[in-house]
Amino acid sequence: MGQKKIKVKICVGTACFVQGGADLLLYEDFLDPHLLGLCEFEGTSCLDACKRDAVGLKAPFVEVDGKLYSEMTPRKLSEILKEAAHVGG
Amino acid sequence: MNDLFIDVDYHQRFKSGQKIAGDVFLQSRDSTSCQIVCTLSDGLGSGVKANVLANLTAHMAHKLSFSPMHLGKSAKIIMNTLPVCSERKISYATFTIADIRYADKDAITVQLIEYDNPPAFHFSHSEAVSIATTSIELHREGAFKQEIIRQSSFTLRMGDRLVMFTDGVTQSGMGTHFPLGWRRSGVCSHISRLIAGNPDISSRELSGAITGKAYSLDGMDAKDDITCAVVYVRKPRRTLVVTGPPFTKERDADLVRKIESFEGKKIVSGGTTAQIVSRLMEKRVSVDLSSWSPGVPPASKMDGLDLVTEGMLTLGKVATCLEQKIPTNSMPNDAVRRYVSLLMDSDQVHFIVGTKINEAHQDPNIPVEIGIRRTIMGRIRKALEEQYLKETVLEYM
Repeated sequence: MGQKKIKVKICVGTACFVQGGADLLLYEDFLDPHLLGLCEFEGTSCLDACKRDAVGLKAPFVEVDGKLYSEMTPRKLSEILKEAAHVGG
Repeated sequence: MNDLFIDVDYHQRFKSGQKIAGDVFLQSRDSTSCQIVCTLSDGLGSGVKANVLANLTAHMAHKLSFSPMHLGKSAKIIMNTLPVCSERKISYATFTIADIRYADKDAITVQLIEYDNPPAFHFSHSEAVSIATTSIELHREGAFKQEIIRQSSFTLRMGDRLVMFTDGVTQSGMGTHFPLGWRRSGVCSHISRLIAGNPDISSRELSGAITGKAYSLDGMDAKDDITCAVVYVRKPRRTLVVTGPPFTKERDADLVRKIESFEGKKIVSGGTTAQIVSRLMEKRVSVDLSSWSPGVPPASKMDGLDLVTEGMLTLGKVATCLEQKIPTNSMPNDAVRRYVSLLMDSDQVHFIVGTKINEAHQDPNIPVEIGIRRTIMGRIRKALEEQYLKETVLEYM
């Protein structure tokens, strides 16, 4: 296939972890196994988004292929990744 | 902080079938007068009766060694006070008292007083050093045997050990492996081998290894209570804990310099702090997504640091675990377990607490458990000092 993997960065900083980030770390359980194989997961101690309060974005934050997403939930993440895989594939 | 640490610990195995020891070991530290007193007593018989005799003896000897009273008189008081054994119609318990003064760091003086316990060993690294003793005869009224107290004084230096034990150790294996038991000479060469094999062996491990060997010589069926206590003079194991960014950005470089120059284990707690350190030390932080548990975010790895964790949640849990004395082997494999293990394995902990306020934690949606950094660090420090007798230093930045 030689397809480039989708890079997913999950923030595990305090603010993200307590506001839903902990659920995202269970990605192996809620993501489709096929989709899981197309992604590369990484944790990060802070994406620096929580401090840019002027933007008005809320935790938890996830970065997919360099693009920042806020108020992430397992369902939302799964949809974003499906879309990314579709575009990429 | 001190450049010297006196590690005192002991290990004990009960006589087969007993649920309580007939040997008692006590230790107390007085950091203002730089004094440590260790007392080891073996009561007559075994079980509860022996424990009562040994406890009485050890506590009296312990208290009396802090008083200016003459030694011979103290010993007489102890022996006259002990209750009489109903079977043997005598009152008897042995004791060893080590009075250690460490005001002078280069020469720690030890006053050793022994009554009927096997003579203690002084080891300089793996070599046994002989101890010159003087004997005092008590001539007590109502004595049923000749009562001789051995007295000696010597100095301990860096790397030296004092090993004390009861006759359960020297008489182990009697009649099976050895006609007269393991004996002092056997114990001595075994200790020497243990230290040569592991020069930094801690008091806890060494005393455990000695009682373990004695227990195996007895065929895993101890014929007497087996107790060994070790005093070890060594360099302190140090740990640096850094949490929170400095109040002003200009001090970031200062903080990193402190981390780099510190000798010992290094822990950084907090995402922002880790990023500052990573940027200035030019090392990558990688989050280890495999080890986390509900309530404790994953730990990270970074070259040059022993542990990198999230901040307030992890620290809050660490404080609670320390306060409640939760054993590390019952904790899940997460950052808190590694954190507590590192702290347990240190003698001195240096805290550098950044005072910058994290705007992201001011959100009203954030649970109240995310407390104030300084309060949580205060709890950790108090627990380490009061419950684990660690030395700590706190620095704000």
